[in-house]
Order: sequence, then C-alpha cells, then structure tokens
Amino acid sequence: MKLERLWGSSPFKSAYDAVMIGGGIHGLATAYFLAKEHGMKNVAVLERRYVGFGGSGRNTAIVRANQRSQGNVKLYDEGLKLWPELIRDLDFNMMFFNCGNLNTFHSEAAMGAARLAVSTAQFCGVKSELLDRKQCKELIPILNIEDNITYPVFGGMYHQPGGIVRHDAVTWGLAKGAVSYGAHIHQKTEVTGIDVEDGKVAGVQTSRGTIKSPRVLICCGGYGALMAQKVGIKLPLHPLTIQAMVTQPLKPVLHHVISSGAYHVYANQTLKGEIATGAHMDPWPNYTTNTTPHYFKHQAEALSELLPCLRGVKFMRHWAGLADMTPDMAPIMHGNDPVKGLYMDVGWGYFGFKSGPVAGKYLAKYIVDAKRPKMLEPFSLRRFEQFRPTGETAGAFSYGPWN
Amino acid sequence: MTRLPSAPTEKIDRSKTVAFKWQGIPMNGLKGDSVASALFANGVRIVSRSLKYHRPRGLYSLDGESGNTMVNIEGECNVRAENTPLREGMNVLPQNTLGRVENDLFGILDRFDGFMPAGFYYRKFHKPPFIWPLALKGIRRMAGTGKVDLAKEYDSDRYEEIYLNGEIAVLGGGPAGLSAALAAADQGLRVVLFEARPELGGFYDWRTREYAPGQPLFERAGELVEKVKARDNIRLFTHTFVNNLAGDNIVTGFQVGNDDDSFEQRYLQLRPKAVVVATGCIERPLIFENNERPGVMQANCALRLAQTYGLLPGSAAVFSVGDDLGLESAVDLANRGLKVLAVADARKDGHDPALVTALKSKEIPFLPGWAASEARGGKTVDGAVLGNLDSNETRRFACDLLVASAGLTPVTGSLSTAQAKFAFDQHTGFFLPSQLPPRIHAGGRLLGYIEPAAIEASGALAGLRAAKDAGVDVAMDDAEATLSNLPGPAKGCSVVHGPGIGMGRKSFVCFDEDGTYKLAKQSVEQGFDVSELAKRFGVFGLGPSQGGIPGHNLPLVLAELRGDGMDGLFSTTVRSPLVPTLIATLAGPNHDIFKRTPMNDVQEQAGAIFRRAGVWKRARYFSNDLTSSDEIEAIRNDVGIIDVSTLGKFRLFGPDALKALQRVYISDMSRIPDGKLRYSAMLNHDGMIVDDGVVTRDGDGAYYLTASTGRAGGTIEWIRYHTRYDGWNFHMVNLTDTLAAVNLAGPRSREVLFRVTDADLSNEAFPYMGYRKISLTGDIPALALRVGFVGELSYELHFPASYGQAVWELLMEAGKEFNIRPFGLEAQFVLRLEKGHLIIGQESEQRVNLMDLGLGFLWDRKDKASKKIGAPALAFSEEQTDRFKLTGFRMDDPGRTPGDGSIVYEGEEIVGFVCTSRFSKTLEQSIGMAVVRDDLVKEGGRLHIFQYDANNPIRYTATVAPTPFYDREGLRLRS
Amino acid sequence: MSYTITCPICGKRDLYEFRFGNEDRGPAPDQEGLTPRTYSDAVQMHEAVDGPQKEWWYHRDGCGVWFTVWRNTLTGRETSESGEIS
Repeated sequence: MKLERLWGSSPFKSAYDAVMIGGGIHGLATAYFLAKEHGMKNVAVLERRYVGFGGSGRNTAIVRANQRSQGNVKLYDEGLKLWPELIRDLDFNMMFFNCGNLNTFHSEAAMGAARLAVSTAQFCGVKSELLDRKQCKELIPILNIEDNITYPVFGGMYHQPGGIVRHDAVTWGLAKGAVSYGAHIHQKTEVTGIDVEDGKVAGVQTSRGTIKSPRVLICCGGYGALMAQKVGIKLPLHPLTIQAMVTQPLKPVLHHVISSGAYHVYANQTLKGEIATGAHMDPWPNYTTNTTPHYFKHQAEALSELLPCLRGVKFMRHWAGLADMTPDMAPIMHGNDPVKGLYMDVGWGYFGFKSGPVAGKYLAKYIVDAKRPKMLEPFSLRRFEQFRPTGETAGAFSYGPWN
Repeated sequence: MTRLPSAPTEKIDRSKTVAFKWQGIPMNGLKGDSVASALFANGVRIVSRSLKYHRPRGLYSLDGESGNTMVNIEGECNVRAENTPLREGMNVLPQNTLGRVENDLFGILDRFDGFMPAGFYYRKFHKPPFIWPLALKGIRRMAGTGKVDLAKEYDSDRYEEIYLNGEIAVLGGGPAGLSAALAAADQGLRVVLFEARPELGGFYDWRTREYAPGQPLFERAGELVEKVKARDNIRLFTHTFVNNLAGDNIVTGFQVGNDDDSFEQRYLQLRPKAVVVATGCIERPLIFENNERPGVMQANCALRLAQTYGLLPGSAAVFSVGDDLGLESAVDLANRGLKVLAVADARKDGHDPALVTALKSKEIPFLPGWAASEARGGKTVDGAVLGNLDSNETRRFACDLLVASAGLTPVTGSLSTAQAKFAFDQHTGFFLPSQLPPRIHAGGRLLGYIEPAAIEASGALAGLRAAKDAGVDVAMDDAEATLSNLPGPAKGCSVVHGPGIGMGRKSFVCFDEDGTYKLAKQSVEQGFDVSELAKRFGVFGLGPSQGGIPGHNLPLVLAELRGDGMDGLFSTTVRSPLVPTLIATLAGPNHDIFKRTPMNDVQEQAGAIFRRAGVWKRARYFSNDLTSSDEIEAIRNDVGIIDVSTLGKFRLFGPDALKALQRVYISDMSRIPDGKLRYSAMLNHDGMIVDDGVVTRDGDGAYYLTASTGRAGGTIEWIRYHTRYDGWNFHMVNLTDTLAAVNLAGPRSREVLFRVTDADLSNEAFPYMGYRKISLTGDIPALALRVGFVGELSYELHFPASYGQAVWELLMEAGKEFNIRPFGLEAQFVLRLEKGHLIIGQESEQRVNLMDLGLGFLWDRKDKASKKIGAPALAFSEEQTDRFKLTGFRMDDPGRTPGDGSIVYEGEEIVGFVCTSRFSKTLEQSIGMAVVRDDLVKEGGRLHIFQYDANNPIRYTATVAPTPFYDREGLRLRS
Repeated sequence: MSYTITCPICGKRDLYEFRFGNEDRGPAPDQEGLTPRTYSDAVQMHEAVDGPQKEWWYHRDGCGVWFTVWRNTLTGRETSESGEIS
C-alpha cells in the first residue's frame, strides 16, 4: 500500500491574495487560519528551504502561559488552549505532553519576581502556583535543593497547564491543514525582494519569479530583519544564535519541564526519552546557527548542580537556531505602517514556537481586517519610540537583550 | 570459550584474568579485553534489544558505531561495551529488556512493524482525546534505552579538565596521523595527537599483510609509534575522543582514564594554529534483510576479534564484502581457523588478485557480483542467503557468522562540525570534503587512500600543510610529488543494498532507531525524501550513537528510492558531539567561584547568613530572625555597621574628565563644591536608570565616584562606551576591590567614629552629603562620606582593603559602649524602604524611567550640548499619560503585608505591582513601594492588591502615601 | 562558533572574552531638533547585515578597551571589510 504525501504539491501562481514569507509555524498557521476562518484561500507560504527547517524544527517545543505581563499571558493562554482544537481539526497528533512547567528561583528578589508572574497568571485565570523549595522537590524528586551549589533553590513557580509538544508534528500538521483548506506551499522558493508601489505592497520577487499580492507577511524567524530591510524598514532586533542539546534516550526520569533563570537552563524529557535542554544565546548577532563548546560545557555544569543524577548521562546531539530578540522580550506584530499591506511578525526570540498557532490566528484577522486586533495591541513596532515596552522583561536595556 | 593461539597482534594479557558479571552471572575475561570482547569470549551473543522492535542485537562493529552493545555498567547507562576496557568486578547489565535479554518479553513487538509505518504516531492515538494521555504513558515507558541510577555518585574530583597548548592538532593515531605528526614535529612545532582507541597504529594494528619485505603492517605501526613517542614535541593522548572541531580550530574532547590515572575522564581543549584530520574509515553497512541479527558483523570486527582478542568470531562463516579489506579479512580469518563457506564480493572486478588466489587456494568459493540478501535465524544467525546482484540466482548456507560490509565510509565528522563542504565522489563512493575551512587539512584513508605508503604520504603532506599554516616556511613539492607517484584513492563499492531487497521490511538503514528500508520508502512516499527530512520523519540517525551506521547509507537509499540517480546527493549533516559525552565529564571539577570581602570571616563569626549578590557573597541576616528586627532597632536607636565593600569605586581623571561625567550622568556635574557629594544617576537611551551613586571631586580635575554592587563591573565599560567617538583625554581606575568599605549608621554613629579619629566630625565641619579624607587611629587613611541610604546619621568609610578586618574590629570595639550591632542586607532593605529610597532592579524596571521614579529633579534639562545619555527619552515621554509611576503606599490593615511582586489591579486590568513591602516596626505599619499607573497615583488614592501563593489568593487594599515614610524632613540624616 | 577576534592590545582571543557593543552606527545624535522617530532610528533600531559588519567590542576579560572589528555575521569570523581573514 503506497502512502500518500502528507500534503500535495502546489502549482506556482503569479498572483495571490496574501503571501507569507517563511514556511515555519507562523507562516503556516497564518495561511491555515486565513483559509479556514476567513475564506481567504488564495494564499501562499513561500519557504526558502523546507518547511520547519528554521526555528520551527529546532526548538525544544516547550509551551506555557506563565509570562510576566498581562498582554503576553492572555496571548499565550489562548495559545495553550488552541492545541486540542488544532489536533482535532488537523487530525494530527501533536503529542502534547501536559507535564506542567516548574520555574525555579534562586534568591529573595527572584521570589518576588516569581510572585509577580504567579499573581499575574492567576489574575488572568491561568493556573500558576508559588512553591517553596520543599514543594519543588516533592514535584521534581531529582531536583537538588541543597545549599552547597552556586545558586541554591529558594522556591519555584509551577504552571500546570504547560508542557511540551512535538515540534515537527505542529509544522507538518499545519502544513497539511493549510493545504487541505486550499492554501499553497512553495518550498525551495526564496524571496529576494518585496515590491512596493506608492506606499502600498505590490508583491514579492522570488527565485522562481514574481508574485503579485496586496498583502505580504514577513514571518521568517531570525531572518525577519533582513527581509524588512529590503523595503528600508529597520527593526530593534538582534538575531542571536540559541543553542540546545539532547541526551541519549532514557527511561522516564523527569516528568515536568524545569527551568532556572539563574542557571540559564531548562530541561524536559521528550517522548523519545531524551532530556532536551538549553537556553543559551550567544550575545552577539549571527546568522550562523553554529554551536559552541563553551555552552556545551556550561550546560553540563548547570545540570550537574541542579539535576545531579544527570551527571551519569551523555549528551548526544547539540544544535542551534536563531532567536531574534527585541529589547522587551516580546514580539513585534505590526502592519500597514510604513507600508500598506505589509505585515511583520518578528522578534519572537526563543518563544516563537509556543505562540505559533495563536499568532497565526490573530495575524490572519489582522491581515483580513487591515486593522490591529485588540489582542495584538501590546505588540506594535511603535512602542519602542514611545518608550512603552510590554514589561515582559524587567531589565534596563544596555547594548543588547543580554545585558 | 577458548582463545586462539597467541598472535603478535593481540592486545590481551593471557596471564591476567579479570572477573565480572553479566546479568548477575559470574564470568571471566582477560586484561586487555573490552567489555564487548569479554562478553563475546563468554559466548554472549545477544547484548541488547533495539529501541522500537526489541530485536536482539549483538556485536557488529568494534568502535561503537551503533548502540547494539550499549550496556549498563555499575549503574551508568548507555555505556559502549566496545570502547570500555574490562575492569575487575564490573557488574554489566543489558538495557531495554523485560526479563533476560535473550528472552525479552517485548520481543513480540517485532511482529507488529506493520502497524508502525513511518510517521504512524502522528496519525494515531489522538482521537478520541482521552486516549492520548494513556498512550503517552505507554510511549514514555517504552521509549529510551538507558535507566538513570539515582543513587550513583559522580565525584567531581575524578573528572578533571586540561587546557592544552600546541601549534598543531592531529586527529587520529593511525599511519596517516602518525606521519602527519612526525612531519609537523620535524618543523619544530608542538604537536598534540588525539587517538580514540587505547593504542596507536590505526588499521595497521591487526593486519599481517606486508608493508615491506619481512615487515608486516602491524610491525610498521609499531615502528611509527616508536618514532612518535621518541619526539618530545609530540604530546599523545590515547583513549581520547575528540567530540568537536569548531570555529577557529578549537578542538574539544575527553580522555578516559586508566586504572592508575587520577581521573575517570577528563575534558580537553586545544586551540591550535592548524589541524590535521586523519580519522580514517569505518565500514559502510550492507543493507539486507535482518542485517543486524547477532551473528552478522562487519569485516573489521570479525578480524579484530581474532587478531586483537584471540577470539574466533564464529564456527562457520559466509562473507559478503565490498572491498579488498573484506577479502583480506576472509583470508586472514581462514588462516586462523575459521571455516569459510563462501566469499561474495559486490564488486564484479577490481579485486586484488593475490587475495582471490589465496581464497582459491583454500578452496573457498568466491562469488564476484554477489552480495548477502538475507540473514536467517530467529535470534542469532543460523543461515545466510547470498544473491547475484544482476540475476535472481541465490545460494543458501547454514552458518553462524555472516560477515557483511559494503566497503568503507570515511570518518569525516570533525570536518563536518568544522563546516567543511562535501561532495559525492563517484570513484570512491565517498562524500569527500570539497572545501575545507581555513587551516584544516585532511589526510589518509578518509580521502580514499588504501595503499599503506600512500596513506602515510598523504598524512605527511597534510602535516606539512598544517605546519605552513602555523607560520613555518615549508616546501611542499617533494611531499606532493611523492604522493602523486603512489596509488591514488581506491574505487569504492557502489552497491546500496543486497539483491532482491523487496519491501526491505527488516532491512535496517539505522540500527539505533530501527529505521528500515521500508520506512525510508514510506518517508519518500509521504514527501520526506531528502536526508534532513527523512531523518526526522522516518527516523534515522537520531539515536544514541547518532549517525554512525546510517550516515553514509541514508542519502544513497533515498536517492535510489527517489529515482534520482546520484545527482544532487548531499551528505547528512553531522553535529557535535561526535561521540556522546558524559555530563560529569563536561562539568568537570566545576568549582564555585565567587568573591568575598575582607570582612567575610569576622561577619561569619558574628553569625552572618550569606547570600550570593552578583559575583559576591554578602551578609543578608545576622540571625535566624529573617525580619532582622534587632538589627533594625539597633540602627534606629543606637548604631549599626554594615559591610559595603562590594560597592563600585572609581577614580576618573584627566583634562576631559568632566566631559565624560557630563555625558553619562543625567545631572549637572560641573559645579560640585569642594568636600561635597553629588548624587546622580546614569541612564540608558530609553531614559531608564542603570545605576546611581555619588560623585565627588578628588583633586585637580579628578573625581571619585561610586556605583552599585551589581553594576560596578560594568561602570568603566559603560563610560568608555558612551564616549568612544569623542577622543577625550580621561582615564579611569577601578578601585572596587582595592578599597573596602563600611557604613556606620545610627544616631550614635558620630560618637563611635569619634573614638577612632581625630577629624572634626561636628555637623558644621562635616555636614550631610559631605566628603572628607580622614585617618583612623592615625594610621589608616579613609574616605568618609556622609550618605543617608538608611535614613539615619551615617558615615560610609572607604579604606584600603588590607585593613578590612582591622577596621571592622576597631569599630566594633569602639562601638561596644554604644551597643553597636552588625547588620546585613535585609535590615538595610527595610530601613531604606522606610525612607522611600529605591534599589535598582527592585523598584526600577523597563516601564519606568527616571521621571516615573520621581527622580526627575536630577535631570539637568538645559544641557543639550553634553548629549547626556537618556535625556531625549525623558523629554519625549515627559508629557505622556498612562505611564507607570513609582509610589509609596500604606496598607489599610497594618497587620497584612503583601509579598514583593504582588500585583496592583483595577477592575479586570493589572495596573502595576508591589516592588517592596514590609511591616515596619518603627512606624508600626505595613508600607511599601509600588509601580502603578499614573491616574491611580494620587495622595489618598486607593490601591487594590492581589497576591497568589500556593493556591491561596489574597486581596488587599492600600492607600497611596508620600515617601519618605520615616523622618520626612530628614532631620536624622542631617543631624 | 567559538571564533576569535583580534584585540588591538591583547591580540587574537576567544570571542567569549568580549562584550558586543552593537554595530558601528556613529555617535549618538545631537539633541537639538530630534523627534521620537529620528531618535528611535538612531539609538533603538539596528542595521540588519548578513555579511561583513563593522562592530564595537569590549575586552571584558582582558584589557578593557573598546575597539571595532569587521565580522561576518554569516560565518561568525573576523574579516576585513570585503573578505575573510584567514
């Protein structure tokens, strides 16, 4: 029995009602929602390589709604609630492991920050609890709560609704879904330019020819700023290389996502049994996606203190992707300014995966209405020149998002 | 199992027996055995069960390319038995089995592969929704191979790290690597050579073929090794696995320790000027039905069992090879007593005539153009089927050993991590480097050379090229000529799989993930038809040994399934680590590095409880009373002393010193009166406060300034950054560690200080915000600053750090009659809160700028010429509404104090948060500071606070109150 | 990728010894006649360059000097304005 292609190949047209630059989950989700919820089916996703080759296929697939600011919590909470709907509608198992997320905190001041996040979440109707160190250990028995480590655990924030998803499943499921509703996907198609006439977007230039379209969405992950610059738009972004690694597969030993700001480390156990871990970003802009031995070692140091039983486990694969970071660790979703019909979905840093489907949902609305939806009000590009950051991160900005 | 008669190539010591256990059964091996060879010697053929289908697996190769022989040793899981030397008393257990590994109850899964086509899990288990959590439980339990032993300790003292020096790194200690090392060392350079196996010599090591008349290859290996060992500028690391070659030639890896080493493993790192990669080849697996059955093994493996370990790999064998090395292994094994029933060679021609003759002379049937199509046998091999690659002809044999190989695969992993580009070479059948990164050279077998002299010459040439990159003027012509006169790279085996593969249902491309030919086909059908996609969808090469087995074959198989031919073949990306690396090894000794002040010990003796503050350890409490009420009381009523040595302290001087100050500080720094402190803040471009501190004049054109502990390390960087285009003439000296500091605070602080100095401390002579140079006990020079962070009369003393402990003790002694108490950060925290003083990072955050914090008065708005950092942002946001402002508040119920971080809300909206809040004993009220939306910050305004800790939602109300809460006129400060 | 850059005082050192101080976009603008938009363009927005870029770096774990180098953001290597340095 011959199996069918997961999604059919699409004929290359020279005109579409909307074009998504970037074949990751943001672009695929937007196309899916445009076609499904707004009846705008004559749309195309243009991808330079293969769908999911960028951040969508490289992340460690953690989903959560435990952000610091109300605007972000609302968006991610809706994002979390979308998974069961998507799984049903796309008829694709995204392998959502609802294991919950524990963030550990390592000082009195950090516990204050934890309380802020927990209170914000609960106020918005999202489950989140503040735990003391003993409760953290009860939740994650392999956690080290001794005092004799660099950053002893003071307590934690436990967000039960979060967990992990299978990133490839989301990408492929959305691709399948978008195409089934009529959208086109063009892989191995590079966008080389964006055409603007009289302050309005006219279409794009690609390696396979020109495509006319009155609506263009830039959603190509770490390459977003380069794409925007093709029409002279500068953005407050730095594309940083973010690294992650996995251990050899193990029988179940870690049953939640654990994350520590002080150690710059998070870890979870995938359904294949690997411990996926990461969180380091090289603090300088790069388009290289190269890993560094520096962080390989650093990661091991952190894990060996926080989860000591992992000392006897081996790392087997290490990779990197791009995180385009804004000063306030919140994305930029902005359209029709300065170019009518041009929409930008950038600045997702290391949190673009968890928001993919919900971002797509609201971007679709934004594109169809040509008006900013209420949910996206905090994410305007102009918030920076107005000195009104989202408050998703606390620190004063120096040269870059790392200091 | 008895061992073969001694051979000069063997590495075992027959006089030393080593006892161990397998599945609880006592067994014996010999010193020099690996765990794998010891198991084999004891008749163990099934060592593990595969990930998905739980198929029996055993010895296939001898360098750990697959997870077949991963075992659990002494509680450590996923240990590669092939690369682990046997040690006395080892307790070895199999993994991933239910019951004994020979009778794994999950073995039945092997029959259900039909229900698990490529990508099946994306289409199953999600409807109805309740099924998924149950399925998930099962999947998690079945996934993974190793089990973590929670009780096993890894002593960080036994995991070392070493940072090496040397101009040339050579990866690989075979003939090419040894030759490269000698060539580079001859140029006077320091060479570091890394070899994964415990011994040097590479693939010469077990071969009896002649290198030169009367000199078998293994002796030639010995000769090269002796030469290398004799050089004192070649440093050798054996049993050392390089796991990455990365940017600018950084080489990292780890060495496994011997019994007499001080380490279990140690991490190594080297950044040489140039690198030679001579990592040789492994064998390319032949794909056919049941090609991973125990009893199927690679040619190299079979031969080394005999030559290195003295073990006959089977009793009756069939060979299916793809190159001359395969033929040689058949001949050599036959010579050692193996009954060889037939030798198939996938090549139709090009065989070494001497080897063909040797086979014929032993009456071993030779079948050119034939290859294995099936291994038969339930759990281990009991038969083999060979087939003609061009016709349907087959022949069946009863045997317990099927030696199968499709020729060689170059080990190019380190070139791949170094970002070399590769192209498929038709002649060798290898993915060869088409573009090497700067200062990296390749030599030896991995380029396709087979002939020993050519391998060595290729290595030597690479060594010379590396020497040239390291700056030695070396003539290459002779070496290049030598190499070009020797036989070039050999023709490789082009066969992708055995004949008659059909569905390839149990023909394995990837052993670790049970990735079969059938799954590859299904991946291609579903659109995942290139390596990078098929890897993830079908699942190949993502298992515990990563790409070892499928790496070369996957692109070839996919190309065949696509029908492409060999055009546009791309090698699969290889990622670091090249060898799975233990986290304990990477973590190494992992020393906790932090700084302590000179008064650390005296504070500890006084009962201080320390906390990490940036890179420092600082005292936060001086008792188990976490409200520090005794300390607070002491400061308000008598006197307290706190160690503030960690504060940033800087001297800034030069003709343009003032210009630099005017740039980074938001205030007018130009008219600081003599002997006075100016308090100001440094902002970023968004007008947010990055640091605050005091500045004072310190002689002609010189200034002395302080910074907060957290920012101290960045102060010089910051000031130099924001003046980098101006070309100003000024200098900075960081005195943070040079000067210790204490703050003496409380109504009786003057009296205490008076005991130890002759300086005029009267309020007229030394007022609030004054700055004086004084001396303590006539000997100790100190800067005295009257700052008022905690809201009492206080003197901050900065003095040379070597006097730290002495000054502390001096003041404690002098303060005895005044009831002096040491205090820590918590007490300071509460007191400054009562004064409404902000702490950077506590009350400041991204949404509040200098004006929002109520410090707008610091801003010298007239000065546009200095281009003060942050000034435009303040100007632009000044008129804005709907901004957050910092405000004080008082709880309506004094007994209820919200936690730091509780949110402030209005209706459904979050309109701010509590920065700090404490119960103040002094005021007998609960007070705090919060960042709140401006329309709600009016005197007497009501604030609604919400806190949620551990399932406990609490709501409070508070009233906006002006700060300071305590001593509003500042009388106590100025007394 | 664990590359190196060349400090003018200390020589070639591992990149992790340094702090990145943004691309070279000239001094902060004069404060007369600024608008929020021109100010934001000058100090908040970045040039996106996928190739050699002139950048400011600070030798944090060394001599403490701020200096510029050309670095290729596509390869991570220090470079000259037009090509790669070996």
